[in-house]
Amino acid sequence: MNETDGRDAAPYRGLVVVELADDPAGEQTGKQLAELGADVIKVEPPEGAQSRRTGPFAKNVVGVNTSLTFWTYNASKRSVILDGSAAGRAALRALIAKADVLLVTLRPSELAAAGLDYQQLLETHPRLVILSVTPFGLEGPWADYRTSDLVGLAAGGPLMSCGYDDHSIPPIRPGGNQGYQTAASFAHCGLLLALIERQQTGAGQLVDVSMHCSLAVSGELANPYWFYPKVLVQRQTCRHAQPEMTQPALFRCADDRWIYFTLILAEQKPWEALVDWMASLDLAVDLADAEYSDLTYRQQNFYHVQELIEVFFLLMDSATAYHEGQRRGLPIGPVQAPEDLFDDPHLAARNFFAPVSGDEETAVLVPTSPFRFSSFAVPSPRRAPRLGENTTEILADLGEAQHRGIPG
Amino acid sequence: MRAEPMADDGSRRPRVRRGPLAGIRIADFCWMGVGSVATRMLADFGAEVIKIENRARLDTPRRLPIYKGDPRSYGDEDPNPDPNKGGLFNNYCRNKLGVTINMRSPRGHELAEKLIAQSSVVTENFAPGVMERWGLTYERIQGLSPEAIVAHMSGFGQTGPYSSYRSYGPIIQAVSGLTFISGLPGREPSGWGFSYMDNQAAYYNSAALLMAIMHRNVTGKGAEIDVSAVEAGVSLLGPDLLDVIVNSRPTQRPGFPPGNRLEYPRAAPHGVYPCAGEDRWVAIAVFDDVDWKRLVEIMGGPAWASDPRFGSQQDRFDNQDALDARLSEWTRSREPHEVMHLLQRGGVCAGAVQDARDLNEADPQVAHYDLFFELDHPVIGPARFEGNPIRFSRIEQDNWRSAPLLGEDNSYVFTEILGLSDDEVRELAAEGAI
Repeated sequence: MNETDGRDAAPYRGLVVVELADDPAGEQTGKQLAELGADVIKVEPPEGAQSRRTGPFAKNVVGVNTSLTFWTYNASKRSVILDGSAAGRAALRALIAKADVLLVTLRPSELAAAGLDYQQLLETHPRLVILSVTPFGLEGPWADYRTSDLVGLAAGGPLMSCGYDDHSIPPIRPGGNQGYQTAASFAHCGLLLALIERQQTGAGQLVDVSMHCSLAVSGELANPYWFYPKVLVQRQTCRHAQPEMTQPALFRCADDRWIYFTLILAEQKPWEALVDWMASLDLAVDLADAEYSDLTYRQQNFYHVQELIEVFFLLMDSATAYHEGQRRGLPIGPVQAPEDLFDDPHLAARNFFAPVSGDEETAVLVPTSPFRFSSFAVPSPRRAPRLGENTTEILADLGEAQHRGIPG
Repeated sequence: MRAEPMADDGSRRPRVRRGPLAGIRIADFCWMGVGSVATRMLADFGAEVIKIENRARLDTPRRLPIYKGDPRSYGDEDPNPDPNKGGLFNNYCRNKLGVTINMRSPRGHELAEKLIAQSSVVTENFAPGVMERWGLTYERIQGLSPEAIVAHMSGFGQTGPYSSYRSYGPIIQAVSGLTFISGLPGREPSGWGFSYMDNQAAYYNSAALLMAIMHRNVTGKGAEIDVSAVEAGVSLLGPDLLDVIVNSRPTQRPGFPPGNRLEYPRAAPHGVYPCAGEDRWVAIAVFDDVDWKRLVEIMGGPAWASDPRFGSQQDRFDNQDALDARLSEWTRSREPHEVMHLLQRGGVCAGAVQDARDLNEADPQVAHYDLFFELDHPVIGPARFEGNPIRFSRIEQDNWRSAPLLGEDNSYVFTEILGLSDDEVRELAAEGAI
């Protein structure tokens, strides 16, 4: 499915999105649309979006155009500078008039300050889809509360499931802004539902995505354990939070790397596969004895089993554990660091990393959009825009009337 | 959720669905977590999702022992579980229909092809190659249903040297780098306490299906979709990955990962602080001088806050051990929600570390959005469900029924949709085809 000939344009080709987003939830939502062909116009104040001032910076050069945080969440977009002046606001109104989607991360109190009234906008532009992605949603007692990735994951529930066996250590935030990413995923789906509805009715609408609610339904087992047996799950080191503590799932290997492996004692096939593998290296000790084919006996001698597995993995490197384990049908995965991914032959074979286009200075490979369709090609990633890079062309499209008095 | 007419009418009989996806029938071969959550969103918004199950190999969420009144860890399965009692299955498969088909039986196989011919979307998350072994290649499915969208959801994707590797959420998190970037420096990673990538891969697959449907509405053309959970995971790594790529700065370095501290931007205090009660915590994030002044004022201007070590944002960032110790003293005697509201009302970013009980029983924001809803179930009884965190002005989630009993809709689907007679359905059951 890698050839591009004869396929249609990317799915969002022709979709015009005006983005007023100043956190990774909104910016990532816009990026997913831009990566798949939408014209995402990022509206920035003269000093640039907050993410432009957030490190790390390319080659450690601090500047509005070198933030890797900005690059991450704003690839493939265009940037226009509009200030809060009357002319700036007029230009924003003109941009919205041309847009299919208005993507905004402002909380209710900030909306009022920005002079945006969603009801009025929908009345004026009945086909417009307003995609609001906010910390807690546009309504409710917490609607004007602030958030961050840590605070969002905390209040939304996922954080309580993450950390170490030792509960004197607080819950630990997983990396990479995943609270914001969870909101972005719902925003993406919510927008699609609204666009499909618009195909049928011609009408736009307001889509109110709450990061808090997105996280509150994304904790996997925590809610069902409360819905049904009414128990709370307890966090454990790098494995599922459970009502009771379970055995460790990280094993250290000879190359000082970790692998993840959960042995489910109750499953006979993986048990036999593991013991065969251990026996092939003369490391099964007594596990091949007949008593161990009985689940109860395995459970009773669980600590012994766990110790032998620990020794077994400690005697091989993580790559062997991964590939030989998988060859034997055992779900084992190495804990790879991001820098390891560029040596991964599987990702290479799937052309997952591709050169970013439009950037001659920093010729690098970046992840492509993870969607693969037979019917349309996924465009290659384009670099994030420089601050105000597209102001002139975007304002020219709007006509001279809006052009006066706008910096940039 | 809010409007009464949306509620389950108690008959459990499939009815005409409402929502933007009404009229789209999905032959859903999905099981486990990713696939079930991916098609759940489509079922919630009107698609007729017909879940195809194998009686001989029960879907894992039917077996996981999440039962009312019977707390067990999920490894602690009943060897002979009641397939209709599982709470996780109920949560994942509400608003779907359920049929059983034995794909190894020729008549079962024929029935599946009939169902595909009456559907315009086919979804699956088996190991790559299973559908093809049943002869259900994209070409064959197109032959049955010319505009079909076929979604393959897998851990590693349909192609490539590791495509047959086994995976579930934690494996994807490990392989994609998400586990490595999560934890305290100098220790093993704390990673994830749940299958984050089951959720995210599911949401990406929902989006892929919706994109393909939107595209087909314009062009009349179907599509074959291949979403790899590992690739979705890598795409979620964020700026750490670009730091590796652009600055050649490895993440395998002292001080990384930073735990609850935040290097970009330099927030401090930034962490999770102890509160009154057992294992109760509050998250606090202070990004600049304005935030800091507000926090100090809320704490009543304690003397330690004017320590020159805490003078500027950079000073606070550099002296976080001392700062965290001081702030912990202040939070330790207070309830997490008390701290959250005190700080938030004063303009400081903070959140109680909430557990499922907090979310379900005490969170007024979740309550305002009617995020959790209830439906009855013939075996389980009334149960709560995780709803949708999106509020639309023109669309509502269409909750018509809790999850199907095993084979509950065999008669409806095989007679009313596929046109078989009741006798034929009885025959198929007798010979083990369904």
